Amino acid sequence: MISTYHAALLADSGILMLGALSVYIILATGQLSLGNAGFMGIGAYLASYLTVEAGLPLTLALVLSALAAGMVGIVIGFPALRLRGIYLAMATLGFGEMVRSFFLNFEPMGGAGGFSGMVHVSVGYIWLWAGGILVLVTLLERSRLWLEIRATHDDETAASLVGLNTTATKIGAFGFGAAVAAVAGGLFAHHHVYIEPANFGFDRSIELVLAVILGGSTVAPGALVGAVLLVLLPETLRFLADWRLAAFGTLLVLVLLVRRQGILDRGLFRALTFRRQAS
Amino acid sequence: MAILNGRVEKIALCASLVLGLAVASSNEAEAQALAGREIAIGAIVPSSGHFAEWGRTNTVTLKMLEKQINDAGGVNGAKLRITIMDDAARPAQSTNALRKLAGDDKVLAVAGPLTSSACEVVFPVANQIGIVSTSQASSKPGVAKANRPWAFRNTVDEQILAQTTVPYFKQTFGIKTVAIIYDAKDATAATVGTKIMPAILTANGIEVLNASDLLSFNTGDLDVSAQVTKLRSYNPDGVVVSADYSQAVTVIREMKRQGLVKPIVGATQLISSAILKAAPEMPIIAPATFYAGMETEAAKTFVSTLTPLLRKESNLPAEIEPSMYDANIYEIVSMYVDAAKNAGITAKPEDLEADRVKIRDYMAQLKNFKGLGGPVSFNADGDAVKLFYIVEGKNGVWTDKLHKCSDPNPAACGL
Repeated sequence: MISTYHAALLADSGILMLGALSVYIILATGQLSLGNAGFMGIGAYLASYLTVEAGLPLTLALVLSALAAGMVGIVIGFPALRLRGIYLAMATLGFGEMVRSFFLNFEPMGGAGGFSGMVHVSVGYIWLWAGGILVLVTLLERSRLWLEIRATHDDETAASLVGLNTTATKIGAFGFGAAVAAVAGGLFAHHHVYIEPANFGFDRSIELVLAVILGGSTVAPGALVGAVLLVLLPETLRFLADWRLAAFGTLLVLVLLVRRQGILDRGLFRALTFRRQAS
Repeated sequence: MAILNGRVEKIALCASLVLGLAVASSNEAEAQALAGREIAIGAIVPSSGHFAEWGRTNTVTLKMLEKQINDAGGVNGAKLRITIMDDAARPAQSTNALRKLAGDDKVLAVAGPLTSSACEVVFPVANQIGIVSTSQASSKPGVAKANRPWAFRNTVDEQILAQTTVPYFKQTFGIKTVAIIYDAKDATAATVGTKIMPAILTANGIEVLNASDLLSFNTGDLDVSAQVTKLRSYNPDGVVVSADYSQAVTVIREMKRQGLVKPIVGATQLISSAILKAAPEMPIIAPATFYAGMETEAAKTFVSTLTPLLRKESNLPAEIEPSMYDANIYEIVSMYVDAAKNAGITAKPEDLEADRVKIRDYMAQLKNFKGLGGPVSFNADGDAVKLFYIVEGKNGVWTDKLHKCSDPNPAACGL
């Protein structure tokens, strides 16, 4: 039996991992999204509305909010097609802030005062989702579809020249990423049983991207490594008191200096799972 | 007769001696009832992040209190241990801190967390675990009320405070119109700026010139010139600044720069010594339950002991003074210590749950606790019933203009 403290850390890791996966899926097509907290916010608010006001069971509410956020993701995906690199990052950042401001002024869901009334979910339920989606993405990485995604990432022009539909790939990734973020948001809302717009601001988006960059941006389980580290490091560094966050920052810089691709990359992942490189 | 008299005297002497010894030993027994044990109290403060200054001064305050109590012989002979956790003012870290304090450190009760956002997530967990959590700063309406019976706040609801602040502001400066600016990212500031203030201003016959277009900025914004230009265009008699003082300073400096010198009114978040330096010529009206420079004996002793300790800290501003939140957290832990002394707490590991219930009941029934500004108790919503002051900040000092009890019945505050 683990203590409720450790259980809560485990729950936080699961939610952060889902958020990180949502960034990873979009990043896999070469698009950096700094607005995934926005999708998370949509999921959190919608799922909370569905369970508290409409009385739906949580699982159904999560599926519905994932679908809704997925649609929003697809809509966002279209203008994103015309933007690259830092410009896309800026546009998605704007989207995230837009969602936050929307909920700040959206009185039916409490506005700045926040929204509560959700029923607390167990850490097991959170990990059922987190584990399930992680396995799904890992399996997807073995599919032909993922090869198309990687081709789009590596060279979009070349990929479209050989007949791949890069538009569909990029928009689909946005939709899928948004749906995963929405699940993370819905679980967040039902873990903390209170949400407010500030939970889904710019810092949250950065945290999600950081988890991917730290854990490894080339394999899905990198999100798991990054999320666990981002949750556990600040806790285990408590003995440093005031220097806690400085030490945390230093460790991050060090990791990125030593392993630019993140802690877990394809090579390490293969070594860990005893899989031979296909010749 | 003389012999008899002598005998009576002797008997009386013996009797009084025995009686005296008995009384002395029972006092002694009580004073040492918890000898060899440890009273563990937890605290959640933001020593890093947005509200780091408050978290750090809270930490110094708690260490001072811990030392004072242990130097004076502890809690009925038991050593007081205060475990302080930093939550960086991030709600997720606050709940983890509470779980760690309750589950791993086995504390009897928790002081904190500081922000309303953190309280919103921590209080439900406190109820789930069954441990008292008392916030030193949260003043967003109804946060403790929604999480009874384990949640308490040693603060007064901003709604109650504004009901006295606004009429005073209107009367003193002859205010007929105001414009509102608030920090949209701060839950308390946004609630005060968009809900509480507009309603109470209107009820007092003051026109809110930008009622349909309240001006906002975000925590951390360094440039609010556009908002202040807009503010100036309304030409109000007074300005409502609803923001934490560190953010309000930016607004007030910009107002001064643009020549918008008008009386300012706000919530408890404005109280600080730093804000007075931003524009000493602009009067600021705000409510407070404590401010450095307060006249009560207890407050004077508190300020004179704590100030040098705060100024010794290298990570705090050189001219820092104890804040209202330091006073509040000092009172909270003192209440827990009183509960440990008087509510029959054993501090044995097997009685942990029972001890926590005893502290909760002690807090709920608390009457006339000697706070720094006067007697303190809690109402049915879990919020403090205490004296509050309407203070005016001008030329670098806060002066007490009016005081009132936060309860409709003034006797509750000893008035």
